[in-house]
Amino acid sequence: MQIQDLPYPDPGVPDTRSGLRLLWWLERNQLGGQLRALAWGLLHFASVAALPFCVGLAVQAVVDRSGSRLALTGGLLALLCAGNALGDTFLHRAAVTNWVTAAARLQQLLARKAAELGSALTRRVAAGEVVTVSTGDIEKIGWCVEAVSRFTAAAVTVLLVCAALLVYQPALGMVVVVGLPVMAFAVLPLLPHATRRADVQREKAGRATELASDTVAGLRVLRGIGGEELFLDRYRRASQEVRHAAVRSARMWALIAAIQVLLPGLLLIAVVWYGIHLARTGRITVGELVTVYSSVLILAYPLRHFQEIAMAYSFSRPSAERAARVLSLKRPADSTGTRTADVPSGDLYDPATGLCAPAGRLTAVVCGDPDAAGRLAERLGGHPAEPGTSVLLGGVPLDELPLEAARTAVLVQDKDPVLLSGSLRELLDVPASGNVSAEEALAAAQCDDVLEALAQTMPAAGDPMDARITERGRSLSGGQRQRLALARSLIADPEVLVLDEPTSAVDAHTEARIAQGLRKLRSGRTTVVFTSSPLLLDRADRVVLVHEGTVAAVGSHRDLVRTEPRYRAVVTRETDEERALHDMIRADGGPRAAPAGPPDDDAALRDVVEKMEETA
Amino acid sequence: MIGVAPPAYDPAAPTTADTLPVGSAATVRAYVAELLRRHRGAFLLLVTVNAVAVLASLAGPWLLGGLVERVSHGARELHLPLTVGLFALALLVQAVFVREVRLRGAMLGERMLADLREDFLVRSVRLPPGVLERAGTGDLLSRITTDIDRLANAMREAVPQLTVGVVWTALLLGGLVLTAPPLAAAVLVALPLLLAGCRWYFRRAPSAYRSEAAGYAAVAAALTETVDAGRTVEAHRLGERRIALSELRIKQWTAWERYTLWLRSVLFPVVNITHVTVLAAVLLIGGVFVLRGWLGIGQLTTGALIAQMLVDPVGLILRWYDELQVAQVSLARLVGVREIEPDAGDASLSPAGRDMHADRVHFGYREGVDVLREVSLKVAPGTRLALVGPSGAGKSTLGRLLAGIYAPRKGRVALGGAELSRMPAERVRAHVALVNQEHHVFVGSLRDNLLLARADADDAELWAALGAVDADGWARALENGLDTEVGSGGFALTPAQAQQIALARLVLADPHTLVLDEATSLLDPRAARHLERSLARVLDGRTVVAIAHRLHTAHDADVIAVVENGRISELGPHDDLVAADGTYAALWRSWHG
Repeated sequence: MQIQDLPYPDPGVPDTRSGLRLLWWLERNQLGGQLRALAWGLLHFASVAALPFCVGLAVQAVVDRSGSRLALTGGLLALLCAGNALGDTFLHRAAVTNWVTAAARLQQLLARKAAELGSALTRRVAAGEVVTVSTGDIEKIGWCVEAVSRFTAAAVTVLLVCAALLVYQPALGMVVVVGLPVMAFAVLPLLPHATRRADVQREKAGRATELASDTVAGLRVLRGIGGEELFLDRYRRASQEVRHAAVRSARMWALIAAIQVLLPGLLLIAVVWYGIHLARTGRITVGELVTVYSSVLILAYPLRHFQEIAMAYSFSRPSAERAARVLSLKRPADSTGTRTADVPSGDLYDPATGLCAPAGRLTAVVCGDPDAAGRLAERLGGHPAEPGTSVLLGGVPLDELPLEAARTAVLVQDKDPVLLSGSLRELLDVPASGNVSAEEALAAAQCDDVLEALAQTMPAAGDPMDARITERGRSLSGGQRQRLALARSLIADPEVLVLDEPTSAVDAHTEARIAQGLRKLRSGRTTVVFTSSPLLLDRADRVVLVHEGTVAAVGSHRDLVRTEPRYRAVVTRETDEERALHDMIRADGGPRAAPAGPPDDDAALRDVVEKMEETA
Repeated sequence: MIGVAPPAYDPAAPTTADTLPVGSAATVRAYVAELLRRHRGAFLLLVTVNAVAVLASLAGPWLLGGLVERVSHGARELHLPLTVGLFALALLVQAVFVREVRLRGAMLGERMLADLREDFLVRSVRLPPGVLERAGTGDLLSRITTDIDRLANAMREAVPQLTVGVVWTALLLGGLVLTAPPLAAAVLVALPLLLAGCRWYFRRAPSAYRSEAAGYAAVAAALTETVDAGRTVEAHRLGERRIALSELRIKQWTAWERYTLWLRSVLFPVVNITHVTVLAAVLLIGGVFVLRGWLGIGQLTTGALIAQMLVDPVGLILRWYDELQVAQVSLARLVGVREIEPDAGDASLSPAGRDMHADRVHFGYREGVDVLREVSLKVAPGTRLALVGPSGAGKSTLGRLLAGIYAPRKGRVALGGAELSRMPAERVRAHVALVNQEHHVFVGSLRDNLLLARADADDAELWAALGAVDADGWARALENGLDTEVGSGGFALTPAQAQQIALARLVLADPHTLVLDEATSLLDPRAARHLERSLARVLDGRTVVAIAHRLHTAHDADVIAVVENGRISELGPHDDLVAADGTYAALWRSWHG
């Protein structure tokens, strides 16, 4: 796989049984790239390791006063120069390609997993883990996967050099061979400490960044009411903690650096001492001594890869575990369904509450408990998080349809619809029936001022459809966000549209116009609106009051306001005193006709009286 | 390989204009100079310990050179124990000082980094409220996360390592000149190639790395959004499109990876060839010199070993130089905040009384476009004024003028006779507070979240404030009481509880005038009900300007102002306006049925 061919047409099915297996799976899938890196690596390291022989040859040639041997050394050096440059460059290219392809493959797998999980990801822990894998773990995993071939090349080179030294100069070579393992492994015991300290430092840095961004995010609150010094002090403390942790971590790395100077140095001294003795007795030449000395200097370079692979492994192990965990997440319930993917139509009926939304009509639902309303809205779309009795559309249980078909039939816009970043055009480009244009939907959702505000963010006289919506629409006000989300749902133009509090942040003027626009645009289509706003309720064909999990009353807004005290309590927000007054009049057999109330009405009354006493 | 052109799409290009200024070259230079001055001592110390470490590292090649010289001349007395002793001593010194270099480098880098991030936050929290309202916090947020992150590497590693690299290279070259002057000339043979290669590379590398980093961040950002919008993605069947978007981002990112890889494919051979050329030049030229008798064999050995040692510091410089260039852009964005004048205000100005008076106020966000025109309004102490009107009519803007956040373009807004926009922000907020939809709960303890409103409040006062807004019930049920960690990552508060905390802060801060901008509008209306009772208690006795979404808020107000098209079109109590049968009356009828 070359970089320019990315992304993979199909990233494959990962082995997610464990972190190690995931690493191995990635490794196996880029075997070609690994072999390429190994081959170039061998050329590079071998060329580097051969340099000391040239140094020795040259010195000996000079000692022997041989101009031709010096020239020969020059030729050899030119050869090594080419081998080194080629080897290093292509090793780097192969290694980076391996890293990039491994990272891209994982990112693709994650994107697929996130899309598959959809609403099941709203559980915060799972969502956080997916993001952590994407932002931090993949880099480390890619590093570990890629480093294997480089390490192998370095290890093979070290072995070759040792063998060569033994053949070239057995006595001195023996000293080096004995000393090398010490050099390679001496700092390994320190690495876990160092990585631990590095982790602590990263964690503290993350905490400081979190505090800083949290302070900035709430800066308007701080500037409006005070407390800047409090938060500055807090940040300064966190920042200094990061500094101390970083210095603590640096202490360990500094110690490692010192050991890496000291051990090869000691080996060098041993080589010099013993080598001079040998040279004096004529058992080796001066050039050979210089070669061995120079080799020890240069061997430090491939030996660094022993350390690197140990670090890469210890850093990436937890990351790989997390990635394997995330990639093996599954939706809680089966989403394939048992029926064919035909999209049904007809009345939407919920057996659990008795709620019925007749086909082609605008039904408004009033529910005193916002959480219950949210759960009911979710159920109306089929395949809810907590499975139960399925909602029926035209008599067909939605839970038994494939997920895709159920979502096509019923679109549930929850209380907090998210605006995805991108241009406005991209935002509104959702799978749709094609019968509603963006202009119609934006007009119905009263988005004129949003378009105007967006146009102002553009360079001179741009099309607002090209204006950028930032992540979650943060640059827009709450009301503007709600209206854009509504427009998006209207464009989709599903068989059944369920809206949960679509206008709670919109002002009354605009809400009245939206109610009108919504009704007109959805005429002949099935629409369910969860709301408590009289402006919307007044426009509905049918209003349903859901109380304690069942339908308590059905009628028009005006009738229900008059006849149903629980309904009145939710939608008109009359003060407790007013409500108590109404109820007392009714209890006294006053002028207002008492509706047939459910039995818990008395309890509500008692509650109201208690509250009045409390506040009195 | 015939070269790779930079990709057409640049993920690092700004998609929206910076809302805050970016520092000019002069500001950045001045800041760097100040930073270096502040840490002069640590800087000099780093250079010194580094010099000692490098000089000690030269002992090995020098001593070996001497031995080689004597052995090759068949000298009888080698002073071997002395030489080895010196070698060991130099090694020890080198090891100790290498440790010092790493440590001092890190300490210097960390100090500078800590200074930088703290300086930035200090500047940020002093920004005038008007600037914040207008610019939003998004740009500031990206600076404190992305830019600080990018700078961290530069400060922590690049500055100390570059210092080390430069000193090291200079000393090695110096050592070479001292031991064998002709060999120093041999080094120069390779210099033109290195300079040409570096020039080509460093012209392209910094911006390419910036784009590459931005491209990788965009890959993660696309996924984060898919995850965050899980419900919406599923409801709208956007799964396939999100996968396609992620793959597009991967394609864009890897295009930059490919380009930077090409840049390095040019640089690497240049550097490698340079190293070997230096070594070869030293050996061959030096060898010829020795054969001619112009140079000792020992000098040649020492020179060759030093030339071999040059690999490390040169690598260090090349490795960190572009990091520093990338960091420059981030630094400009950070110090840019320093260019905004914190408005000091006239500290002698103090309101006499609580009357709010807007007098023929004009205001616009952009030159030539007024959002408010000729608005005059008097609010007597203790009055509740409701502002109603369609979106974009100017209600919120009027509210911000009354809260002293914006200064009018023409006319004046005064509290107790003193002009709000001329007072320091700290003075204004003692009298007037703006409460908006932002119910930010800060990361930290519940206590910290309340103390910000009044730093000297004791626990009893905090509980009283929570009690005043009906929040003491759930707050007392918390396991750690006021010490409970809240905010992102801590105990998750419901939006209604977050709102109660915002209200409790108001009770503590105790301003006599409040401007409420859609304070409860983001809450579920059914949860808002309960909160409004808490709110009513907080409002009691204060002057209140409420920007009303819900008409019952307007209904309860003493005076209602209908804002349409930047002007006040209707003004009066509820009953009067209903009787007048204008815009408000029409709205009220459809609302109340």
